[in-house]
Amino acid sequence: MKKIYHESAKYHVSGEAIYIDDIEVNNQLLHGYVYTSPVAHAKIKSYNYSEAQKLAGVHAILNYKDIPGHNQMVPVFQDEVILAIDEVTFIGQAIFLIAAETEEIARQASKLIEIEYEELPAILTIEDAIQNGVTVQPSRKIETGDINEAFKNAKNIIEGELKIGGQEHWYLETQICLCIPQEGRDMKVFSSTQNPSETQLLVAEALGLHKMNVEVEMKRMGGGFGGKETQGNHVAVWSAILANYTKKPVKIRLFRDEDQKMTGKRHRFLIKYKAAFDENGLISAVDFEQNADAGATSDLSMSILERAMLHAENSYYVPNMRIIGHAWKTNLPSNTAFRGFGGPQGIAAMETIIDRIARTLKKDSAEIRNINFYALFERNVTPYGQKIENNRLPKIWEQIIETSEYFARRKQVNEFNQKNEFYKKGLALTPIKFGISFTTAFLNQAGALVHIYNDGSVLVNHGGTEMGQGLHTKMRQIAAKELGIDYENVKVNATNTTKVPNTSPTAASSGADMNGMAVKDAIDKIKKRLSTFIACKFGATYRDNTSDAENLVYDRNIIYDWKQPERKISFNDAIKAAYLGRINLSSNGFYATPGVNFNRDRGFGKPFFYFSYGMAVSEVLLDILTGYTKILRTDILHDVGESLNVDLDKGQVEGAFIQGVGWCTTEELKYDSKGNLLNHSPDTYKIPGVNDIPEIFNVNLLKGYPQPGTIHRSKAVGEPPFMLSFSVWLAIKDAISSIKNHEIEPNFQIPATNENILLSIENLKK
Amino acid sequence: MTTNKNKIQFLLGDKLTEIEFNSEISPTTTVLNYLRSLPNHKGVKEGCAEGDCGACTVVIAEESNNKLTYKSFDSCLIFLPSLHGKQLITVENVGTSEKLHPVQEALVETHASQCGFCTPGFTMSLFSLYKQDFIPSKEFIIDALTGNLCRCTGYKPIIEAAHKCCGEHNHDYFSENENETILKLKGIKNSTNNIVIDNGIQKYFLPSNLAEALQLRTDLPNATIINGGTDIALRVTKKHEIITTIIDLSQTIGLKKITKTDKEWIIGTGVSIEDVRIEVKDIFPALYEMLSVFGSKQIRNKATFGGNIGSASPIGDSTPVLMAYNSTLVLKNTKAEREIKLREFITGYRKTQMSSDELIIAVKIPIPNTNEIIKSYKVSKRKDLDISTVSACFNLLKDEKGKIKEIFMFYGGMAATTSRASKTEDFLNGKEWNRENIEKAMKLIDEDYTPISDARAGAEARKIMARNLLMKFYNDTINL
Ligand SMILES: Cc1cc2nc3c(=O)[nH]c(=O)nc-3n(C[C@H](O)[C@H](O)[C@H](O)COP(=O)(O)OP(=O)(O)OC[C@H]3O[C@@H](n4cnc5c(N)ncnc54)[C@H](O)[C@@H]3O)c2cc1C
Ligand code: FES
Ligand code: FES
Repeated sequence: MKKIYHESAKYHVSGEAIYIDDIEVNNQLLHGYVYTSPVAHAKIKSYNYSEAQKLAGVHAILNYKDIPGHNQMVPVFQDEVILAIDEVTFIGQAIFLIAAETEEIARQASKLIEIEYEELPAILTIEDAIQNGVTVQPSRKIETGDINEAFKNAKNIIEGELKIGGQEHWYLETQICLCIPQEGRDMKVFSSTQNPSETQLLVAEALGLHKMNVEVEMKRMGGGFGGKETQGNHVAVWSAILANYTKKPVKIRLFRDEDQKMTGKRHRFLIKYKAAFDENGLISAVDFEQNADAGATSDLSMSILERAMLHAENSYYVPNMRIIGHAWKTNLPSNTAFRGFGGPQGIAAMETIIDRIARTLKKDSAEIRNINFYALFERNVTPYGQKIENNRLPKIWEQIIETSEYFARRKQVNEFNQKNEFYKKGLALTPIKFGISFTTAFLNQAGALVHIYNDGSVLVNHGGTEMGQGLHTKMRQIAAKELGIDYENVKVNATNTTKVPNTSPTAASSGADMNGMAVKDAIDKIKKRLSTFIACKFGATYRDNTSDAENLVYDRNIIYDWKQPERKISFNDAIKAAYLGRINLSSNGFYATPGVNFNRDRGFGKPFFYFSYGMAVSEVLLDILTGYTKILRTDILHDVGESLNVDLDKGQVEGAFIQGVGWCTTEELKYDSKGNLLNHSPDTYKIPGVNDIPEIFNVNLLKGYPQPGTIHRSKAVGEPPFMLSFSVWLAIKDAISSIKNHEIEPNFQIPATNENILLSIENLKK
Repeated sequence: MTTNKNKIQFLLGDKLTEIEFNSEISPTTTVLNYLRSLPNHKGVKEGCAEGDCGACTVVIAEESNNKLTYKSFDSCLIFLPSLHGKQLITVENVGTSEKLHPVQEALVETHASQCGFCTPGFTMSLFSLYKQDFIPSKEFIIDALTGNLCRCTGYKPIIEAAHKCCGEHNHDYFSENENETILKLKGIKNSTNNIVIDNGIQKYFLPSNLAEALQLRTDLPNATIINGGTDIALRVTKKHEIITTIIDLSQTIGLKKITKTDKEWIIGTGVSIEDVRIEVKDIFPALYEMLSVFGSKQIRNKATFGGNIGSASPIGDSTPVLMAYNSTLVLKNTKAEREIKLREFITGYRKTQMSSDELIIAVKIPIPNTNEIIKSYKVSKRKDLDISTVSACFNLLKDEKGKIKEIFMFYGGMAATTSRASKTEDFLNGKEWNRENIEKAMKLIDEDYTPISDARAGAEARKIMARNLLMKFYNDTINL
């Protein structure tokens, strides 16, 4: 098959790709700046910005009273104001908006603003939040079997707590939006958002307009990773308010440090667990209490917590299980979506249990995993009642154990550790089962709009957004394949709310699944009309009975009747003829994922259309004197059904894995006692660099297992491989644990920074 | 030759470009912001404005001895005036989507871009590697890319692209036009020497020789000195300061020399960290090791040896090493030259013994005796492009019987200055170089230092690191 490169690759490499900050605007452009709270919790006693307003070049300084519409920017729970009223609840909360001729002037103006606060007690840790007892929304529960009975009968019980740190998205392109006022009060919004329809809604509400008055366009993001699912909206709403007020184009681009300080992160979690198992390591019961740090507002915390709970058992069958989830309110920026969406936190705790069972029983952890995996025909119902179909775990296990030479390497690692005092190796295999679909059922819908122009070229619009994942490339491929034409004859347009309305965010890894189906639906509709017309035309040409429209095949730029292959016409000629024949060559398309439902109150249902699977084996070398770890080798086998584009999918697997490795190892968020984030720039916040990837990095996609019922039998790929990074995390733990011959359970958490590793080793030595 | 007032000239691609500074254009405008203000150079991206992501990477070609060298730089850390007489090459100059350069082609074919925001920067880092004209090893490729962050790809395809496009006898548009470029650059340099900029708000001097520089230093004792500018630029790009007077030594010949004798090397403070690193590999291996984990390629190409010492930071990486080598600094003003031991030069947190009319012009590093064992260590959260949490350099001298005659232990990151573990040294001097003594000594390090907790690590971890580095040194030297 011909290689299909990322549709924007040649623009990326030549610097021609246009991001929002690259859009040329007339010289009326103003720069927006957000004045934010420097305190975590306080009453605003008084303020004065008259001096700032006088500064030459300042066009507007606005407060909450200047918002023409609704002062809200969280759609469902409505608990996050656009601009603070009389109280601030986190550092980085927006209080005033400034528009000025240059960023410099805006910044100077902000320094002239006087404001007086009355500080209030702030909740800055999960522990304090639990003490304080306030959640952003009511807590949730999923329960199956009878855990009390199971714990009563248990042979072995382990209990513990796992601390899981947050993660900064560190998209290369910081949050940005450009708003250009149109006729009347209409607004055109160029927003770096994963969720154009929601951006449109929130801008409309803030300006007191209807959605029809607001057009949101998104060509490409310089990375999103979930960080622009809701929080791209904030910058959009702020710039829209300024643009509406000044009647001039306004751009807000967050400076890197501001972005890191103001925006939400992956949720920190504190998970308390208890597990029962027999002498072989077979698990009979697990009890989890998941405590998430929601931050100051709801944002997406409940959906994220829900996904954490729905992934609490990972790939293992647990007959008796209880998962209680709390999203605690703290005085930090509201935490938000990040690749995996709670799944990683839920799974980390389960993998910790498995790891501890192995240590307790002095067995290899891969074997404990194997006996607990969901089985094919029994032991295959999740704690929330969904039956696992098309389970690929046994196949993947079989293949990766062999290709990674797991057991032979386990021996080598043990031998190495016997011989070396200051360097230790660790090895771990971890699996992932990840549910695909939004757990909020109504979001599982997508739309498309496809035009075939009368020169035969095709323009696809769909509701998904491009943030690097290659969604547009895949949509082009799907359209080309469905129409039987060359990939080069299809183009995908910038995502625009005037083309496809009411779309869902590009999230939950579902972008290609759902939009692909919608594109196909649109094309099917056009093909139906076109086939009828061409079939008729064949009849006329051959002075014979017409062809049956159903028999027409679209392939290699030709449309032909497979029953009478001599009846054929080139695609372009067919389109020309159809145009002259006054056939509609444009159509919308729609898709709603069938059969998904989930009852939150009961914690029961079929939230997922299907599951994605994968496994990774990683080996690390730990320098126990410096705590520095090196990944020697990683083998990944991941399931994407029948890949839409092998190269793009591998790219997603590798990228997600490394992003996960960052979260598990060097990416750390520290706060001071006032709630200031200390790691607010890449100087101290360390994402993986080129030297942090495995020395040997074998990434393969599972072959020969198409997924029934999906677009071209493919599967989602964006998020699941993120969690394969637990193989690295637990390999590090394995290495630490070998210092005491695996006899003592080491302290371990996410992230395993060299600091945390050294502290854990010191503790072992005590 | 004349002094250029308020004007600089350079090549942007092949276009001779002149910038005239006035109240609208500040001399501390970064190359990044300048390029982004142009309609046709928006490929260069800002990811951090502090030299940590490489999205803003450009290549600057410089002429010397009728040859061009192509090096990568973070354009967010370069002030415009230092471009004078050089060729600035951006991603747009390298190739277009219609006519891709081999480097760009390789990146496309290996699927090395996802969101693409980091890609122009990677393209430029690879372009500078490509221009080195040899077949790079994996280590070389990685070294060329440590200054570029990518959040999407996981880097594997980018490394693959480098293998694919870099090789010998590379031929491209730039090599075809090399002679012409050299002529143009020489033309600029021949017509000017000193650059003086005064836009009414800021003064910026770019002296071309040392005498001139020293005179400026005497006349303007409060002026900010910059050399590579990688420290000082952050005051502009991150703190948004307006620095009123700057003396920029980056074009000062006379600071860029390395003199080698049998006894010592004298390294000019204007030599870039990267050039020092490459030169010292065999003679001063502990310095080489340390400089190999210093910043990134882009940072090392710009940062100077002098700037690292001049900043007198407790986490400056060269200081503990140069102290262990017992280096001497050469300070100079218009009247005299004096020498001072680096071990005595730094007096407090970012405080030194330099007076306000002096410049550090060179560092003298004595070539160690064969019986001195010197090793350096750096602990940081990420191995590359990260500032030290704790750094150390040890110098061990054993007597004929193998006992410790004298040990020098210098730590960075443990106190307000790079400092010696005196109590520990005292304990070890005269003792056997054995495990038992090392373990005892490790406990004493806690008495030598009371480190702080900060964004990088807590005090407890710093203490563990400091102790363990001594054990590491012992373990590394057990058989020497
Ligand atoms: C992304 C990044 C990564 C970095 N990584 C490292 C690292 O790994 N290790 C490390 O040690 N540092 C690191 N640094 C800090 C910095 O790059 C180094 O300290 C560098 O050596 C400074 O050199 P410069 O020439 O760029 O300094 P400049 O900014 O030009 O000057 C630094 C200071 O020295 C003074 N000075 C310069 N030259 C002279 C002179 N001739 N005489 C007297 N005073 C002088 C200046 O006045 C100024 O106070 C990093 C910086 C950045 C931005
Ligand atoms: S913008 Fe990040 S290095 Fe320059
Ligand atoms: S491709 Fe997105 S950051 Fe590199």
